[in-house]
Amino acid sequence: MPDGQSPILQGTLDLMVLKTLEQLGPLHGYGIARRIEQVGERALIVNQGTVYLCLVRLVQKKWITAQWGASENNRKAKFYSITRAGRAQLKAETENWARISGVIGRVLQLAGPRSA
Amino acid sequence: MKAFLHTIVARLLGFLRPKDFDPDFDRELEAHLAVAAEDKIQRSMSPEQARRMARMELGGLAQLREAARAARGLPWLGGFWLDVKLGLRMLRKSWGLTLVGGLAMAVAIGLGTSVFAIWNALVGTTLPLADGDRVVAIQPWDAATQTAHRDTPLADFRRWRDVLRSVTDIGATRRTERNLITPDGPAGRVSVAEMSASGFQLARVQPLLGRPLIQDDERSGAEPVVVIGHDLWQSGFSADAAVLGRRLQLDGTFHAVVGVMPQDFAFPVNQRIWTTLRSNPLDYAQDQEPEVFVFARLAPGVTLDGAQAEVTTIGMLPPDAVAEANEHLQPRVVPYAAGVFTDVPSNRWIGGLIFFLVALLLVPPCANIAILVYARTVTRAEEFAARYALGASRGRIVLQIFVEVLVLAAAAGIAGFLFARQFAGQLSRIVLPGSGPQNAPFWMDFSPSFKTVLWAAGLVVLAAAIAGGVPALQATGRRRQAGLQSLRTRGTGMRLGKTWTALLALQVALSLAVLPSALEMTWGIFRPSILGPEFAIEEFLTGWLMMEGSDTSRFGNLQAEVVGQLETQPGLSGMTVSAAAVMEEPQADIEVEGSEAAASQAAINHVDDVFFDLFDARFLAGRGFDAGDFEPGRTTVIVNRSFVEEVVSDGNPLGRRVRYGPRGDGGPVSEARVWYEIVGVVDDFPSNNDRPMMYHPMAPGTMHPVSLALRVGSAAGPVARRLQQIARALDPALRVGRLRSLGEIYWQRKSVDNMVGLVLAAVMLIVLLFSMAGMYALMAFTVAQRWREIGLRSALGAPPRRLVAGIFGRALVPLAAGAVSGGLMALLIESNVQITRAGGRNIPGVLPASAALMIVVGLFALIGPARRALRVDPAEALRDG
Repeated sequence: MPDGQSPILQGTLDLMVLKTLEQLGPLHGYGIARRIEQVGERALIVNQGTVYLCLVRLVQKKWITAQWGASENNRKAKFYSITRAGRAQLKAETENWARISGVIGRVLQLAGPRSA
Repeated sequence: MKAFLHTIVARLLGFLRPKDFDPDFDRELEAHLAVAAEDKIQRSMSPEQARRMARMELGGLAQLREAARAARGLPWLGGFWLDVKLGLRMLRKSWGLTLVGGLAMAVAIGLGTSVFAIWNALVGTTLPLADGDRVVAIQPWDAATQTAHRDTPLADFRRWRDVLRSVTDIGATRRTERNLITPDGPAGRVSVAEMSASGFQLARVQPLLGRPLIQDDERSGAEPVVVIGHDLWQSGFSADAAVLGRRLQLDGTFHAVVGVMPQDFAFPVNQRIWTTLRSNPLDYAQDQEPEVFVFARLAPGVTLDGAQAEVTTIGMLPPDAVAEANEHLQPRVVPYAAGVFTDVPSNRWIGGLIFFLVALLLVPPCANIAILVYARTVTRAEEFAARYALGASRGRIVLQIFVEVLVLAAAAGIAGFLFARQFAGQLSRIVLPGSGPQNAPFWMDFSPSFKTVLWAAGLVVLAAAIAGGVPALQATGRRRQAGLQSLRTRGTGMRLGKTWTALLALQVALSLAVLPSALEMTWGIFRPSILGPEFAIEEFLTGWLMMEGSDTSRFGNLQAEVVGQLETQPGLSGMTVSAAAVMEEPQADIEVEGSEAAASQAAINHVDDVFFDLFDARFLAGRGFDAGDFEPGRTTVIVNRSFVEEVVSDGNPLGRRVRYGPRGDGGPVSEARVWYEIVGVVDDFPSNNDRPMMYHPMAPGTMHPVSLALRVGSAAGPVARRLQQIARALDPALRVGRLRSLGEIYWQRKSVDNMVGLVLAAVMLIVLLFSMAGMYALMAFTVAQRWREIGLRSALGAPPRRLVAGIFGRALVPLAAGAVSGGLMALLIESNVQITRAGGRNIPGVLPASAALMIVVGLFALIGPARRALRVDPAEALRDG
């Protein structure tokens, strides 16, 4: 693994995909993967294949829907959009993430080496 | 939660229609690659490079497709289904294992499920009455002996009825046997429930006609009344709509019918006739109060524990107030069904222990199947090695073997379950006499319940775990894995192992040890059916002769008159009178003077002077009854051959004295503890019945009612009609009841025995088949293991006989050791266990016969492997090495 790159934390890909769809509206799989890579500024390794597995899961949960359409280059592609249930889930997950990451941040700050 | 449900539905759809999603996903991936490549071309990559890069970023297409398929469907279920298909194929291929293993597991699961079904039907269920789960029994519990008494002294019942507040509708009942006579229908002995009126309140079932018993009926001096069931109303009163007020007789007392209950009503257990239970002390002579079964309904809001607390506080009357009361007795409140069957453990822990022991029944057959599965698994080393090479984990292979056996166990489980459904009723009759289908408690229901299905399914999984899981883990253990993975050639790396060889030897030993006893038991059970009664049992008609009303003084004369008039009837070649019908004689405890043996049981009958002649009974010693024996006060008896063999056993039976045991069960009370002298020994009849019998002389007219046995040949119909006519013409009060063929009674009794015999024979057959299969496995192993050696010796020109002896000689050593120790054990069992006491029958030369049978079984097991050894192609064997 190249220096400075981290794998995506387990369970966070769903959150990122939902957020991307909420922000940018309907997108195809490649677009979603590219967007996450761009936002991650190459610090995150996104296996594009796993994005598709994530999309299958989210469709099953009815948090997103899929529809065939035409890409900007007029190619056929499957477009995903976030549903109302997906937005509600995203909101809940975002709050949860903020709370947990805050707690972890505070714990890590406190747990520095004890001064003599 | 919603998302979870959506996922489940989507995955189920994906599982059911796996092909629907694949083309769509493929198109999506193609579109992805195209879009990604275009994007990269725009970012000044060459088309070739862009396409390659796009592919690399997406990852392996085949894996991605697989992963998506797994994410959409139910992958573990798909794998399971594949294993099931493999399992079915293996069952067909290893048909020997399928047959033997399946049969053994079916018997074990069937028995295990039957025990559960019986328990569940008897005490594990609630009554089919309104709020049936709140109906309880209150009964004495003996803390010293840890046993429950079904019945309670009447005095305690009266006290509880007056003071208990945690229960309502408290009532009592006792079951009595009475002679019933109705205007239109059958007369005979019937079971009558004497019950307090509150029993009907508790049951909350409305009568079809009239009213139930009420409290006023219990008053001293009230007119005797009876409530009858639907069937008796149909048969005894021709379904007369104006039956109310008509009368029937119970033991000579007229009772007015006040109500008819619906067909299914049989409270308290299985009664169809209800009379009042008198609970007033004045209704009974001193110390003659009966014991009764006490029932009640928990008051609203009161739990079983709450009622128990109150009942414990109230307690039972002190010993001096109640005859034979015991200071260890404490009342306890139990669910109703558990109170009726005090012998059936209703406690959850004890019940659990019994079920655990029943589940242990699975261990012997499953351990045997495990040996065979282990052997088969090791011989399939190459198949599993190939699967390892293709990336299957050990867990996956263990699961595959487990599922293969699970398929077999499931098939056996279904057979076992059907067996339990069919025979649980009959089995319960054997385990608990008096609870069979004919007189089953009204709440007993053997239709398959959810609980029983669940229990059977649990046994199936347990069986598969023992028979499939254990050997699979063993055969794929770490030491084996190396061998499996290296795909070695046939013959090397395979070992049956000392433990499994020892188990096989033990198996042979145990089979041979129990074989003689099992043969003798099976013969003992089947013999009467195979040899038959040895007299023309179908030629006999039997029935009761009795008087209506309490005045039976004329009965002696009438009986003689009936006999006299019937003697001239064409087709009738003879008749006899006895106290009990043949084969339905009551049992009693018997003591023989000077015999060290504890009290034995014998069946008792009182017979007239032509009884033995009519049945062509052969006298083996002594004499028949002479005129003097019928004088009042004479104490002579005749016994049968089985009585001499089982009860007297030592010395000459003639002149020996016998008496009834302290309880005098079955014997008339006045005769208890009188010594009787044996004056004759008669051969068993029906022959092969092996039931100890004792016959008293019975002078005409001294007993009422009596059983008639008529030798009618093929003229049963006309003689029966004539008998009814004569009885009616002689005296309207004279009744004939329950006319049946003796053959009917005989074969009814034998059918239950035969079922026990069948189960025993099946178990014996399975044990033998297992021995054979085990020996076969060992020999087949030896051939596979020494493949090269056999080829080499064959190439060097070894003669076939020496080749076979050389190969199997060493392998046979543990089996021979097992056979010898088994033979010794059999000898020990034969000389120490009296098989005839358990219902078996000695077979001369059974030991050598068993040994010969085992040798034949062993030779059969040897044939296949021996033929395979002789067919080894030397060139091929040497090349393989």
